[in-house]
Amino acid sequence: MSEFKALIEAVTKGDISKAVAETQKAIDAGGFIQAIIDEGLIAAMDEVGDNFSKGTIFVPQMLRSAKTMQECMKLLEPLLKEGDTSSKGKVIIGTVKGDLHDIGKNLVAMMMEGAGFTVTDLGVDVSPEKFVQKAQEVEPDIVAISALLSTTMPAMPQTIEALQKAGIRDKVKVIIGGAPVTAKYAQEIKADSYGADAGSAVTEAKKLMGIS
Amino acid sequence: MKQIGIPTLQPRLKVLNREQALAIHTAALEILEKIGFKMEHPRALQLLSDAGCRVSNGERVKLPSYLAEKAIKSAPKQITLYDQRGNKAMPLVNGNSFYGTGSDATFTLDLETGQRRRSTLRDVANFARLVDGLDNIAFNMSMANPEDAPIENIYVFAFAEMVKNTNKPIVFIADSGRDMAKIYEIACVVAGSEEELQGKPFLLSYSEAISPLRFPENVMERLIFCAEKRIPICFPSGSNAGGGAPVTLAGAMALGIAENLVGLVVHQLVGEGSPFLFGPNVSALDMRSAVVSYGCPEWSLTQAALADMRDEIYGLPIWAYAGASDAKVMDAQAGSEAMFSIVTALLSRSNLIHDVGFLEYGSTSSLEMVTMADELVAMSRSFVEGIPVNDETLALEAIERVANTDTNSIFLMDDHTFEHFMQAHFLPKLLDRSRYDSWEAAGSTDLYTRCNSEAKRILSQNQVECKPDDVLKGIDKILQRL
Repeated sequence: MSEFKALIEAVTKGDISKAVAETQKAIDAGGFIQAIIDEGLIAAMDEVGDNFSKGTIFVPQMLRSAKTMQECMKLLEPLLKEGDTSSKGKVIIGTVKGDLHDIGKNLVAMMMEGAGFTVTDLGVDVSPEKFVQKAQEVEPDIVAISALLSTTMPAMPQTIEALQKAGIRDKVKVIIGGAPVTAKYAQEIKADSYGADAGSAVTEAKKLMGIS
Repeated sequence: MKQIGIPTLQPRLKVLNREQALAIHTAALEILEKIGFKMEHPRALQLLSDAGCRVSNGERVKLPSYLAEKAIKSAPKQITLYDQRGNKAMPLVNGNSFYGTGSDATFTLDLETGQRRRSTLRDVANFARLVDGLDNIAFNMSMANPEDAPIENIYVFAFAEMVKNTNKPIVFIADSGRDMAKIYEIACVVAGSEEELQGKPFLLSYSEAISPLRFPENVMERLIFCAEKRIPICFPSGSNAGGGAPVTLAGAMALGIAENLVGLVVHQLVGEGSPFLFGPNVSALDMRSAVVSYGCPEWSLTQAALADMRDEIYGLPIWAYAGASDAKVMDAQAGSEAMFSIVTALLSRSNLIHDVGFLEYGSTSSLEMVTMADELVAMSRSFVEGIPVNDETLALEAIERVANTDTNSIFLMDDHTFEHFMQAHFLPKLLDRSRYDSWEAAGSTDLYTRCNSEAKRILSQNQVECKPDDVLKGIDKILQRL
């Protein structure tokens, strides 16, 4: 582990240029790409996640670390061999049809990426059909659905129903979130999980993937 | 000859100098002129384009400064809200301040169990009846996103519940032009006719664009409806510092004001001279939890700044918030945050001040919080009134009288005290100053418990003047046809 100490430190501090330089150094030294990712970047982001949970760092610091990791990944991804994996799982995420709010959804997307998920962001006002189409295309492990308005909440069960009709409901886990959403509502509409905020959305997503 | 009296200084909070106010205003104009915004309503887009805006890529709009300046000039400097019986209730002008509740809380603290639960139409009714019975709460909002109302008409049902349970002015929410038309229909029934409603409006629409700089079709539909019908409207987007807007307060204010100006320009193009309550919601996005804070000093600071900008530049009545908290229960945090925003809103002479009684960053409503806030508003008002200085208040005669009494007299038994104590002091009802033994004998209650009892007392004893039968029938008919 100590091999990547400088890289881990740069990622946790959100020092992009240093982290990119350290990544390049590790590549030049002939290190295993998978090891740089797992023991360097993901290890750093785990530490960042822990610090955030403990309340010792704030959201912007965590997001900066996530951005730092993404910059490092740009160097590593082209070097990944077939069978190597850089992802904890694939997620598609969007705000439901009729709802144009995306701050919370964007935060969840950023934090999931920071935690090592591969995230496809479908944006706002995403129809059930669009969720289905993207789910068929991307083959995600998790479909994450957001709504800020109580008036747009009914689009959540509609989306879940559409996944059902398309025959892919059992191939994905559905997680929902947003201001008016409750755990009880998630149960009622048969979502698999509910994230009360961006941090717990990531925790729940990891649980759904069977990673602690 | 009678001498001219000594004017009373009534403490006023100032947080911006003229240079700061102008610089924020100029930045807002620059945002509109150079950066532009996304207008998703076809008619609004056409109006803006015809008025001289540059439109590119279909819906990206750049708005020249003179259009904003012109709209600021044509909007009325005074908005008067009436109660539902047609009496003048809230002249929103100069430094007049009025407090009221908030809207759309998903949860409420149950009055009987103290538990947080989903809110219902019954809660909308209870908050309206409580507000009706509180002296310092001037207007009503739904305080609930009622679980038991049909979701496609949730705001129509909430509005109907409010007019059935209070006669005070109402600030309401709608989803689009469709349900707003239904709400308007109910309001016309209450006022007697469309003409009477427009002449003496008892309602104000709350509508918001999406920060940064996005104006959805349904939001603009509501704005245009209000401009045409001359229903007062406010249009504060959620330009919270760090989320919808820059983390630094000056930039967040500039962005929020720019968004407000877009609304104002379209509004005045549709209905020149229609009433528009100015001002964005510039709170802070909490950097740990990413919630928009309802207890932070930043929101109070930016609305104090907006009041300064009103005085320096806009001259329009302004929108504000107070009496809310991020605390989950009505505890010391709730009390301190509520008081902080209540007193600063009054000190900065904000005009229409909403969200009184919210807990959990606006997600939970509490009847006890509203009841407590009523007392805190009274306390703040007594402070802001200042110290009148005249012969009566200097009381030299009383001093001479008491000083020359042989027995160890104190002022408490002097006539001067009897004559002036009610005006001279704030006399709390719920804040406890009793001696320890009497407090203990009365049940050793804390403020939450006393507010709970007081809210229950008002709900059971305060008689809300009932609407005439034909009005109630008219409302029910509209609801049935939905």
